[in-house]
Amino acid sequence: MTRLPFRFLLRILRPCGLLLATVLAVASGQPARASADPQVVLTTWYRLVLELVRHTPTYSPPVAARAFAYLGITAYEATASGNPGMTSLAGQLIALTPPPARNAGATYDEGLVLQAAMAASVANFFGNTGPTGHRAKAALQDKLDKSAADGVAPEVAARSRAHGKAVADHILAWSQTDGGAAITNMGFPVTWTPSDQPGHWVPTSRIVPQQAPLLPDWGRNRPLAMPDGSSCPLPPPPPYSEESGSDFHAEAVEVWQASRTLTAEQREIAAFWSDDPMLSPTPPGHWISILLEIADRDRLDPTRTADALARLGIAMSDGFIGCWDAKFRHDLIRPVTYIRKTIDAKWEPLLITPPFPEYPSGHSTQSGAAATVLTAIFGAHFSFTDSTHADDGLPPRDYPDFWTAANEAAISRLYGGIHFRAAIERGLEQGACIGAHVNALRTLE
Amino acid sequence: MILQCMVCLVCLALLSLPATAQGGPEVPKFHEETATSGLDASFTGEWEQMVGGGVATFDCNGDRRPDMAIAGGTSPATLWVNESPTGGALRFVPLDGGIGLTGVSGLYPLDIDGDAITDLVALRVGEDVVLRGKGDCRFTRANETWHFDGGDLWSMAFAATWEAGSDWPTLAIGSYIDRTQDAFPWGSCTDNRLFRPAPDGGFAAPLPLLPGFCALSMLFTDWNRSGQPALRVSNDREYYKGGQEQLWHIAAGQPPRAYTEAEGWLRLRVWGMGIASSDLDFDGFPEYFLTSMADNKLQTLVDPGSHLPRYADVAFPRGAIAQRPYTGGDVRPSTAWHAQFEDVNNDGFSDLFIAKGNVSEMPDFAQKDPNNLLLQRLDGSFEEAGDRAGIASFLTARGAALADFNLDGQMDLVVVNRNGPAQVWRNEGTAGHWIALALHQPGPNRDAIGARIEVDMGDHIQRREVASGGGHAGGSLGWLHFGLGAQATARVRVIWPDGPASDWADLAADGFHDLTRGGPPSGWQP
Repeated sequence: MTRLPFRFLLRILRPCGLLLATVLAVASGQPARASADPQVVLTTWYRLVLELVRHTPTYSPPVAARAFAYLGITAYEATASGNPGMTSLAGQLIALTPPPARNAGATYDEGLVLQAAMAASVANFFGNTGPTGHRAKAALQDKLDKSAADGVAPEVAARSRAHGKAVADHILAWSQTDGGAAITNMGFPVTWTPSDQPGHWVPTSRIVPQQAPLLPDWGRNRPLAMPDGSSCPLPPPPPYSEESGSDFHAEAVEVWQASRTLTAEQREIAAFWSDDPMLSPTPPGHWISILLEIADRDRLDPTRTADALARLGIAMSDGFIGCWDAKFRHDLIRPVTYIRKTIDAKWEPLLITPPFPEYPSGHSTQSGAAATVLTAIFGAHFSFTDSTHADDGLPPRDYPDFWTAANEAAISRLYGGIHFRAAIERGLEQGACIGAHVNALRTLE
Repeated sequence: MILQCMVCLVCLALLSLPATAQGGPEVPKFHEETATSGLDASFTGEWEQMVGGGVATFDCNGDRRPDMAIAGGTSPATLWVNESPTGGALRFVPLDGGIGLTGVSGLYPLDIDGDAITDLVALRVGEDVVLRGKGDCRFTRANETWHFDGGDLWSMAFAATWEAGSDWPTLAIGSYIDRTQDAFPWGSCTDNRLFRPAPDGGFAAPLPLLPGFCALSMLFTDWNRSGQPALRVSNDREYYKGGQEQLWHIAAGQPPRAYTEAEGWLRLRVWGMGIASSDLDFDGFPEYFLTSMADNKLQTLVDPGSHLPRYADVAFPRGAIAQRPYTGGDVRPSTAWHAQFEDVNNDGFSDLFIAKGNVSEMPDFAQKDPNNLLLQRLDGSFEEAGDRAGIASFLTARGAALADFNLDGQMDLVVVNRNGPAQVWRNEGTAGHWIALALHQPGPNRDAIGARIEVDMGDHIQRREVASGGGHAGGSLGWLHFGLGAQATARVRVIWPDGPASDWADLAADGFHDLTRGGPPSGWQP
């Protein structure tokens, strides 16, 4: 029933540059000269995952960040098991035991190892996607299975597949005990009683499930690189006050005034980083997209790519755990609620207010963590182009370094009218703290 | 504005609706008669049939009872002649009337050529086909005769209008995913098409409605009462990139043009699957219900005086959100398809039916997803009555229609299920009065598509736009039903499609009336 797989591969492999040639040759029926490049296998799966995140209903940003972390760790460990220059994350990440080792002296095909590992991991994390996602997964697995095995001795292929799957299964089993594996009702509690105290979060949406906040227990999940969800605590936000002239009121006035004087570029920035669930690859997917674009531009090898994907994924997943821990400790009111009550009853923010407490900003924490890790990997003055939303009609944006992008992502939430400044600035600081835990990991020599 | 309308509704209701049961709307009793009705149809298929499954209700043999054409997906489309006795059990007989195409996703009835015999438009996964009615429930392909380029797309949405001065209809057909991209369809929405009349007869080559965002429902509607219908398009956000819901200017002699944010159109992105409309607050401007996954939308014009198409979502405060099953124990979010406003309990207030069913084993959405019957309360809010009314089927619904199959003044129900049997229910009735009307005018647009009917309820006016389109993959043509509550007579007038209004006419309740342009109303007996 699958039609035109060649065109399908063209679409998703387009960003992979010259590495495309091998797989396309196989897909078009030409004789293959070698097995698939592991880099093509890795980045091709990730590009499908960016779509699956967008089209799988449970994939809110925290859930997406978790999946990116485990997918990255799987790719890293599958690669590291055959590369003495890579240090396993076992014993470094919380509760991760050593994955199955390769048979000493035996030959493995790296493309097939990664193919088997990624196929198993994606099948698990996106087992709940819709019919179209299942078709896409099956089509990709079929084509990459065939192309990766072409020219590989059968016993090597079998051994490589078994090892890749064994690594994936090991990571999957570990992931099941972190507290985030099961998502029910899209992550919203069926019942919830908001605080009746002033200054606390109340629902801002007219969608029924969102009368409860998203994933209130996510901060209790087992992190990966930091000890626990409260490892990077925040100072409290300005004391709640409805008095004009108070620090809290001043922050609200800033958001309200900003919304009335937004420039065209500020509106563009708000939209560019909005990354709404089900309408985008989510905020963590946005940073993964940035990394994939860099990997393509700079022709990164699979070792560096797997390392960067793992560390970025870990940073963002821990970022959401830390952020959610803080959000539900502080349980702060959203700007739309406060401003309508005290400043402007008819005020409408530019963006849709997310259904959970305000402080700190999730975008800010995870972007701070991402910038910290990517700066450690690529350097402090590493320029790049971000084309994440080109297909959605938002033009690419250029950045001189990762922190400029992170700061822009963070302030976009003030432009959008959904965060106060303290949530943004303290969120970035929290992200930097979480990123430092990730940077302490030993990966590549 | 919204609060004002709701307060106003409460006042109207308290003043004028003695027939409404105290404590809530009267719940009609629906009796499922699938097994005894003779109906045996199903919409079958897998990926290319995850959407679609519409039903057209219309009279194909001149007895003025609504017959049915049902999309079959991988199975042939089927035609069902209505032989239900008046007020009696529902009964349908299959007929090979020449519509037995496979690949049909939706069916809409329309008298395209103005010969007083209803034709059909078959939306298909493949070439769309216009079927000319020959009478006596016989149809023949007319693509070539009418110069209709059926294309080769995955067509899902349909709407029709007669543009000013035209003697031939303008058809809008919405298409879904590029099915050649079946392994990676995201971002592959194909063009919607606008078929306008050709100068020398039939249809001209279709104009693309760009950009297309995977349309699943379309409706020509005079949203601002300007006299010029615009085209609403509801799109499935699952597959578009950079897309949104759309409203198009369709002005005679002008290229189609989408409303912009500068014109007041607000970006909304939903899994748009069906459109229903009704003037729920009696302000003269229709509300629109958009079906989706989980949260559905009920839109009301924010400020009619501004002439801006800015809509507020009032589904939540009015209890019309219908986001998850209300019975059966499955608490996962719902998936909604066909929606239709009709007054099923004849209390003078439009009620809302919503067909529900999982797309295809999507584990995060309800598998046991009962259809909804939302009865409008006195204050304009809605309450769920699907289980109490007896229509809470757990089959996987797609298309549906509320129609008075046995001509007893009570709106019956047919639901088309995916990979399951279509179902019919007979509405056993309530105490409220009703009236059924049919519009006729000379010339090409014989059924007066685009007209507006007004029924004076004393302290407010019920209004209904006569439309061809909307819903999910199917529509109705025939008697137009109004509940009247306690009113034993109805004061009625018609605003004809080109603007002139008929005189008000007092008509007896509980009967059928033909309203012919330029002539007096005439009663009709089943």
